[in-house]
Amino acid sequence: MDTLEICYMSAGDLSKLVKNKEVSPVEIIDAHLTRIEATEPVLNSFITLLAEESRTAARQAEKDIQAGRYKGPLHGIPVGLKDLYNTAGVRTTSGSKIFDTFVPEEDCTVAAKFQQAGAILLGKLNMHQFAYGPTGENPDYGHMHNPWNPEMVTGGSSGGSGSAAAAGQCTITTGSDTGGSIRIPAALCGIVGLKPTYGLVSRWGLTALSWSLDHPGPMTRTVEDAAITMNVIAGYDPKDVASAKVDIPDYTTALTGDVRGLRIGMPKEYFEAPLDPQVRKAVLDAVSMLESMGAVVKEVSFPMFNQSQAISSTVLMAEASAYHRDLLEKDGHQLYEPVRQRLEAGLFISAADYLRAQQARALLDQEGRRLLDDVDLLAGPTEPVTAPELLASKVMAGEQEIGVVGALTQYTRPYNINGFPAISVPCGFSDAGLPIGLQLAGKPFDELTVLRAAHAYEQATDWHTRRPPI
Amino acid sequence: MASEKQLSREEFDLLAKLLGVDGEPAYLDELYSQVRGVYISAQNIREIDVTGAEPDMAFIPPTA
Repeated sequence: MDTLEICYMSAGDLSKLVKNKEVSPVEIIDAHLTRIEATEPVLNSFITLLAEESRTAARQAEKDIQAGRYKGPLHGIPVGLKDLYNTAGVRTTSGSKIFDTFVPEEDCTVAAKFQQAGAILLGKLNMHQFAYGPTGENPDYGHMHNPWNPEMVTGGSSGGSGSAAAAGQCTITTGSDTGGSIRIPAALCGIVGLKPTYGLVSRWGLTALSWSLDHPGPMTRTVEDAAITMNVIAGYDPKDVASAKVDIPDYTTALTGDVRGLRIGMPKEYFEAPLDPQVRKAVLDAVSMLESMGAVVKEVSFPMFNQSQAISSTVLMAEASAYHRDLLEKDGHQLYEPVRQRLEAGLFISAADYLRAQQARALLDQEGRRLLDDVDLLAGPTEPVTAPELLASKVMAGEQEIGVVGALTQYTRPYNINGFPAISVPCGFSDAGLPIGLQLAGKPFDELTVLRAAHAYEQATDWHTRRPPI
Repeated sequence: MASEKQLSREEFDLLAKLLGVDGEPAYLDELYSQVRGVYISAQNIREIDVTGAEPDMAFIPPTA
């Protein structure tokens, strides 16, 4: 098989070939390592590439599969983990040279689950330092570059995960989403990014940013692959105090293609916020597509959306500063200056203001639940703009020039605040060839409906088959 | 300390000293700008009527 074809195959398709012994994990890993060698000088997706280790693991996987010990759809499939997921024996930097030589003794829960499923760890993926930024800048390991235009950001903080999946460097990647850090790079890099319900995927063994807002999740080129990955990584973990004890369905049962009768609400406040007209059109066309497939679409009102930036920033900044207080005191001078500023700014938030933000958060949560009593999903843009230029501090969203940080987290933050599941799925490209994402959010623990709608839309279009020009 | 008025530079400098935050003047200028943004967010939240709302407690996952 052609190397590039292997690299752009989904896990769903590759797994059938692996199971039937038509392609070997060794061939798969070799293809990806060749692709990485060709593209990594431009993209800088990886902090640590495990070339020899992954080849060794691939040979073992090949042996196991030949012997009939097939473990499931991720057996022999390359996985990349954002470099704040602890991996036993493999350095885990959180994107900072301060932890350049930190080697965990134990896998995080998610890494252990991938291992048990037979997935092959290809490497640790580049990220915004300490996950504290939505662009994918990293002065210690190099900035990440968007495969669709390397002068543009990948988005962050899971920037390397976004570029690696989009460019065919890795089949499955993972991110962590605190204010949008899975969905932002997913939208800007043209892939699927699922932020699951809070508590559904274990946070144990991940470097935290904000305890109550952090959500680990998959970043993949197809919705099916996100579902397959969730089957592996979702589930109760007693080591994570926030882990939810809920039954885990087979997420691939959502992939029916049927959205007849699905009720979709479009918050009017989304379209009153700054928004690029090409993004607006692509998202409205996407929702119209779903409507033509039988979904019932209506306008809804989500007034607390307009408070989400203030609520999210207050909670996030206070928690991040608390978590990193010792690091700030000891090694603050080594931090990327914007990250250090955010951490120090969080120190100024009073306990009373933090708790007031948590009260407001409860109201936003209640408003979301009321909306989702009336509709099954909330739909809108993932991002109000396409990928900004690297290191830009401002961006044009329609007629308005706004700060990049505020822009990139404009639509994502509400679902970190309330913990509801939210996915970004590609829904088009700008005239400049940059990806646009559609965000669908659902009820807590109703990933099945979120995945169903995203998959149906994806399969009715060809955005997910496009490849970046790299 | 912050109220409807803007956080003054003097107030910021005092708070920074109390919090053990220091740095080059250009760094502190930028940090001051960020902290003013933090206070604006806090002010916006203070304008929300949260009567009867208990804080969402950390570490309790949403129920289905």
